Amino acid sequence: MEESMTTSQGGESDMECSDNEFYDYYNSNDDIDIEQIDPRNIDPEYFEYNCLLEEQVDRLLNETVETLSNNLQIPPSLAKVLLHSNQWNINEVTKKFNDNSTQTLIAARIEPDAPPSSLLLTRLSSYVYCSVCATLQHFENFHNLSCAHMFCNECWTMHFEVQINQGISTGIACMARDCIVLAPEDFVLKHLQRPNMREKYQQFSFQDYVKSHPFLRFCPGPNCSIVVHSKDIKAKRATCNQCKTIFCFKCGCDYHAPTDCHVIKKWLTKCADDSETANYISAHTKDCPKCHICIEKNGGCNHMQCYNCKHDFCWMCLGDWKSHGSEYYECSRYRENPNIAHESVHAQAREALKKYLHYYERWENHSKSLKLEEQTLEKLRSRINQNVMSGLGTWIDWQYLFTAANLLAKCRYTLQYTYPYAYYMEGGSRKELFEYQQAQLEAEIENLSWKIERAETTNRGDLENQMDIAEKRRTTLLKDFLDE
Amino acid sequence: MANIAAQRIKREFKEVIKSEEVAKCAIKLELLNDSYTELKGEIAGPPDTPYEGGNFVLEIRVPETYPFNPPKVRFITKIWHPNISSVTGAICLDILKDQWAAAMTLRTVLLSLQALLSAAEPDDPQDAVVARQYKENLEMFKLTAKHWTNVYAGGPFVNSDCDDKIKRLIDMGIEEHQARVALSSYNWVLERATEQLFS
Ligand SMILES: [Zn+2]
Ligand SMILES: [Zn+2]
Ligand SMILES: [Zn+2]
Ligand SMILES: [Zn+2]
Ligand SMILES: [Zn+2]
Ligand SMILES: [Zn+2]
Repeated sequence: MEESMTTSQGGESDMECSDNEFYDYYNSNDDIDIEQIDPRNIDPEYFEYNCLLEEQVDRLLNETVETLSNNLQIPPSLAKVLLHSNQWNINEVTKKFNDNSTQTLIAARIEPDAPPSSLLLTRLSSYVYCSVCATLQHFENFHNLSCAHMFCNECWTMHFEVQINQGISTGIACMARDCIVLAPEDFVLKHLQRPNMREKYQQFSFQDYVKSHPFLRFCPGPNCSIVVHSKDIKAKRATCNQCKTIFCFKCGCDYHAPTDCHVIKKWLTKCADDSETANYISAHTKDCPKCHICIEKNGGCNHMQCYNCKHDFCWMCLGDWKSHGSEYYECSRYRENPNIAHESVHAQAREALKKYLHYYERWENHSKSLKLEEQTLEKLRSRINQNVMSGLGTWIDWQYLFTAANLLAKCRYTLQYTYPYAYYMEGGSRKELFEYQQAQLEAEIENLSWKIERAETTNRGDLENQMDIAEKRRTTLLKDFLDE
Repeated sequence: MANIAAQRIKREFKEVIKSEEVAKCAIKLELLNDSYTELKGEIAGPPDTPYEGGNFVLEIRVPETYPFNPPKVRFITKIWHPNISSVTGAICLDILKDQWAAAMTLRTVLLSLQALLSAAEPDDPQDAVVARQYKENLEMFKLTAKHWTNVYAGGPFVNSDCDDKIKRLIDMGIEEHQARVALSSYNWVLERATEQLFS
């Protein structure tokens, strides 16, 4: 982990960069193994990544900030804003900046798009009127961003505190009307005295930075602060080395191979909608469909904007607000008058429901099986314990049974996630092949499960053979259908 | 914090009183309590709109964190407009949400609301039924908005056809406002409104 980070720093500092070099550099780790067999060819789930602690992420980000700050001769806090608004792609920012520095600074909301009005800069006396708190104060009490909109220090402080309390950090703008210039980190911190506010601000902005960085992903495990780092932005399986949570690196949700990130999302939304639509609609809090943070509805308006990621969505259907321009009525009408349905459409709907239920039942069933098999494993553990106590072998002798149970869980997990994949797949020979392989995998998994449940009476060689077959079926299916 | 809020409202209140819009009777602001947290706003329906001649009352609540957070505003007067709920008076307007800036004032808000009455944004609707009518049948929308302005905001345009249809429904035992909503929602087709009310 440490090693790969050092490599990347070396690469960045003496780069005079074309886009190609950028990608070469990010794949530089491959060079070493070029003569050996590429593990990617054997294992379709192969994935290179590191688990980083907060300090390590901070260092990684700060090093990038420093490099850019030196390259462009701009203060680090501005370099940070530039990187944050450009997905931390230092080469692209450098190129943009060298092409047109003014435009780059305007696009990142560091500079205003119109030059500041000279009126604001001329002072008639040493006293200035703060239009926010409506008081006259000595001009030394005033500060402004690059837009030259002057406000008193007390107002800046309150503005920042109010925003931070709403979870906003890197996105805090100037207080003037129609001004979108952002307050950079050093400006905000200069106006924050209370230690808990400073801490909150830094915590929120850290989260924003990680979220805007394509190579970083927060571990979704509860109360876990590990950040997973990978240069391979794919829907691959990452396992947190601290809390052992397994998740998809690309979307941060439960791992879902062979299904795509967007397909699994569609599927999970569908399942949630169809099972408890009523509860769902009447609830006062929902999760933002984009960043999944919990949002409370406290006004009558159905056009919601997530305070965290700024995603605009519809409260009723959780759809993207942009798509509601012309279709909004359909959305609200359906929820309000569910009885309006035409007869011909009715038959179609029944057919669609039948199809959905077919896949859903299997999806749900494997999910339940996974949980039941966990209980089986517990029972197995206590039976083996008894065996060991009564002199029937040692724990090491029985270890293979646990390996088998873990493999079973892994296979069944994949099988569960083949059902949404199949549901959204278009008919044709490819789907036939998929469903054939799926059926094969299913059969071998049930065989394996049967044998594990009868562990003590199953021949060890027989069981290990079955493990091998099941895992081969799983790998074959993933090889053929993952990442296509 | 509350200190700044009260200070600002006091100041803004004086400003609005002296403003030329007040002189022209276009906007009005009234304090409802001594703590400067509740106000009543009023805007005149802009000329050459279905709201012309009407007077629209607004409820304004000033949060403790004002002006760092926007005031909470809704229409008290019932109004037929794509961006305002015909049921609750809730308003869909960017400056009352994320586009609010601390340097804005209640005067800005009142003038922006007046501008909203002149230029609806049916693609960012608050009331889906109204928005659909606006897009699909603009004449019907204008007629309905004028009628609502007449009934609820004191506008001058009486529409006897609307009044007759409402009376028919009242005779069937429907409450007046409920009858108006049903007819408005179904383009004043009496049969469809009746069907909806009795289904
Ligand atoms: Zn001030
Ligand atoms: Zn500004
Ligand atoms: Zn973790
Ligand atoms: Zn994913
Ligand atoms: Zn809205
Ligand atoms: Zn919707």
